[in-house]
Amino acid sequence: MKYLDEYRDPAAAGQILDEIRRITSRCWTLMEVCGGQTHSLLRHGIVSELEGIVELIHGPGCPVCVTDQPDIDFACELAQRRDVVLTSFGDMLRVPGRQGSLLDAQTAGANIRTVYSPLDAVKLARQQPQKEIVFFAVGFETTAPATALALKQAELSGLTNFSLLVSHVRVQPAMELLLQSADNRVQAFLAAGHVCTVTGYESYESLVAQYQLPVVVTGFEPLDLLNGILACIRQLEAGTARLENQYSRLVKPSGNRAARELVQQVYQICDRPWRGFGSIPNGVPGATPRMGPI
Amino acid sequence: MCLAIPGKVVRWLEREGTFAQAEVEFEGIRRIVHMACVTEAELGDYVVVHAGIAISRIDPAEAARIFETLSESDYGSEGVV
Repeated sequence: MKYLDEYRDPAAAGQILDEIRRITSRCWTLMEVCGGQTHSLLRHGIVSELEGIVELIHGPGCPVCVTDQPDIDFACELAQRRDVVLTSFGDMLRVPGRQGSLLDAQTAGANIRTVYSPLDAVKLARQQPQKEIVFFAVGFETTAPATALALKQAELSGLTNFSLLVSHVRVQPAMELLLQSADNRVQAFLAAGHVCTVTGYESYESLVAQYQLPVVVTGFEPLDLLNGILACIRQLEAGTARLENQYSRLVKPSGNRAARELVQQVYQICDRPWRGFGSIPNGVPGATPRMGPI
Repeated sequence: MCLAIPGKVVRWLEREGTFAQAEVEFEGIRRIVHMACVTEAELGDYVVVHAGIAISRIDPAEAARIFETLSESDYGSEGVV
């Protein structure tokens, strides 16, 4: 597939790996922020290739895993109402709340549908006007534009039977919290490429300045990840702390303006409990009352 | 969760606004994609799609940069970067 296969080229990956080994004088500790990056690092054997050279601490970047249990319980409760169809992404269904997962609730007869996109849930609301279609909106800044667009389309279509159960979270406040921890060992971040596609990376300037650590916006394919790691190590070996963008084919400094505007129109930022973290200040875009009947 | 897949814009269905849509091809498979956030994409451009909406247009010049760097550099031989 174009724009995927070429970034998996083993010869090029070997070239970057050699360069990483050549310039590294000690074992550095990096964190890849996004769970998608973790998946790719493990799948392509990058973690084991770099053993003893780079320690990769896997970051908090899996929004379904950090979804607070009471939110999942509430979603299960809603799904048991006869007038409700609860929809969400497939990833969300297996994550347990305090009284089981959405998959358990579905097995017990609750009306839960997996959708690929929140826009598919809007389509369902058009098809089933007698039901309240609730989309359990989880995800980082990457996903928030899609759920905001769903709400906006539903409103403009005059639908009164579509609603969101909002459990979105923001990445940067969690990164800051990690850096504030007395136990922090992270010396550089591979910032989450698709989050930055939406948000841009200008907001990381203050983080880099305050904590004096390299932040490199990084993609998801092996060459992207290796290049991000190489950029971090170059900085660490040189004793510099800068913000770099290694995912420039997608990410612009200020991100995607239309997507950011959509999110701002629909959501407002508030404190938020993260599973495994406790409350994170400014951690979530919560739903704003602005959307009227929806 | 934040998985996003590149695909080629092959047909616009609705060019502007909240309901903008295009047909996007992913290795021969065509899907309707919501384009409200990437209305500047032209036919033949590649966009990256997450949860049914395009979130960015791929910049071909920037996409080639990594390979230019690799071919220009002397990684692993003279050790000069």
